[in-house]
Amino acid sequence: MSSHPTDAARPMLVATDIHRHFEGMRAVDGVSLEVAPGKITGLIGPNGAGKSTFMAVLAGTLPATSGTIVFEGEDITHFPAHQRARRRLVRTFQLPSEFAQLTVLENLLVAAPTNRGDSLFGALMGKGYWGADERRLIDEARGLLKRFGMSAKESDYAGTMSGGQKRLVEIMRALMLHPRLLLLDEPMSGVHPKIVEEIQYYLQDLRAEGLTILMVEHELHMVERLCDTVVVMAQGKVIGSGTMSSLRRQQEIVDAYLVG
Amino acid sequence: MNTYYAANLLIYAGIDIIACLALNLQFGVSGIVNFSFIVFQAVGAYAAAVLSLPPDTANGGFQHYVGGFQLPFPFPWIGGAIAGGLLAIPVGFVVLRKLRSDYQAIALLVLSVIANTVITNADKFLGGAAGLALVPPPFSDRIDPNTESYQYLYVGITIVAVVVAFAVVNRVVNSPYGRSLRAMREREIAAAAIGKNPVNLKMTIFIVGGVIAGLSGAILVGFIQLWAPSVWLYPETIILFAAIIVGGRGNNIGAILGALLVPVGFEEVTRLLNSNPNIANLGPPNFISALQWVLIGLLILGFLWFRPQGVRPEPRRVFEGGPE
Repeated sequence: MSSHPTDAARPMLVATDIHRHFEGMRAVDGVSLEVAPGKITGLIGPNGAGKSTFMAVLAGTLPATSGTIVFEGEDITHFPAHQRARRRLVRTFQLPSEFAQLTVLENLLVAAPTNRGDSLFGALMGKGYWGADERRLIDEARGLLKRFGMSAKESDYAGTMSGGQKRLVEIMRALMLHPRLLLLDEPMSGVHPKIVEEIQYYLQDLRAEGLTILMVEHELHMVERLCDTVVVMAQGKVIGSGTMSSLRRQQEIVDAYLVG
Repeated sequence: MNTYYAANLLIYAGIDIIACLALNLQFGVSGIVNFSFIVFQAVGAYAAAVLSLPPDTANGGFQHYVGGFQLPFPFPWIGGAIAGGLLAIPVGFVVLRKLRSDYQAIALLVLSVIANTVITNADKFLGGAAGLALVPPPFSDRIDPNTESYQYLYVGITIVAVVVAFAVVNRVVNSPYGRSLRAMREREIAAAAIGKNPVNLKMTIFIVGGVIAGLSGAILVGFIQLWAPSVWLYPETIILFAAIIVGGRGNNIGAILGALLVPVGFEEVTRLLNSNPNIANLGPPNFISALQWVLIGLLILGFLWFRPQGVRPEPRRVFEGGPE
């Protein structure tokens, strides 16, 4: 047996020297990052720093130009997005990405990975074959809707929700996959302040339950309150990491981003 | 109304319903803009024709084609369905994996034009521009196709095919798998981010739609007993798209309604207008037939502008036990 460190100490995700270039433009330029399990890691930086591109590379939405990504000990660098999601590395998007013509409840149900009716064979077998799975998942999804205060909206089309409600739908949808690592890309952007408070509360709650989160966020007070570790990016590179208070003491980071 | 006319109408309605159910599964539910749909119906028709025809040396060798297996019913229909599905594999492999959906639509339209041109000019392959004639209809060795009872029989087996196609499509659409298809249609990247494999989903539905389209072609060729490139030109696909847009995208009942209103209804109105000499002689030759195309274009535009969800919109799925 090799002498691995304990699971608690071993990073859940290790990204090494990630590059993502767009026709010569180095959006992500050699980023290395580790995400500790059970923690919320923040990823901050000015607009155009490459944060969202980096998140898309981690989730497999964009392939890396070079570099490696290891998730729970497995090299997933060349896995497409859907295979990463099935390994429970799940992302949300910077812009609302609800399935507009599906109801809120359907948006949750569609993400469940364990429905026997979610294949052509299962579908052709009929409801008798997958009905029990469906009922179990409806109960699970309704539990999430209740927790996030959206039970009354379950039969509304997700496209009719407000910006904040769409964010909640996306987070609930991701939770239906029972993620090991949740990648949140600016979950508070364009959200009413009241719902920002709610999202913050839910995220703290999820961390308490042991969920690992990597989060891009612009609102620094929120980052300070939520994140255990913060990584700062600028011009496609990592320029520092640590707790928010330690970062405030590093002059080059303050100059690059934390002004004010 | 005489029996032949009624049977003719019912059989065409059945064929168009089957075709529209398949296209609705691809376009309405899954968002695949299959502008080459008619090619899949055509390949089903050609396959059924060469499976039921004798070798081309028969009938004085006046037409040339590959095969000629003289198989009895239901093998030509089964063969037609399989041919539609088989064609979907290479086409889907080329078109659906890498291209964005708008480019997929263009590639499929181009494919439709190329396929028609190739078959027209390859005159030893499937009869070329003249096509295939004297295709033996099902059971023609036992019942005279020119009798009234044969018309009833053909209506009957067409209805069975409609029921089977409807049952298959309905099960797919109203299942968790159908929900994944609709999610892919709404936002492909987000669907991939929750573990759906968009390429697999699209390929599967492309093949299932190809099978059903092939079946519709087999039924059609068994009835009209001939098949040629002039009956499967690319605008035929546009008529079926019009049917889905009018009936209601993503709604199987809407697809049936659209099939009855557009391909069947328009065809009948045009035919009736042409049968009235006062109207048929209006304007230049073929004026009424040309007007039909103009009206189909206006119908699509009108619905997209004023009622994009169609006559029967996609149903909202409400689950038992939810809030009132």
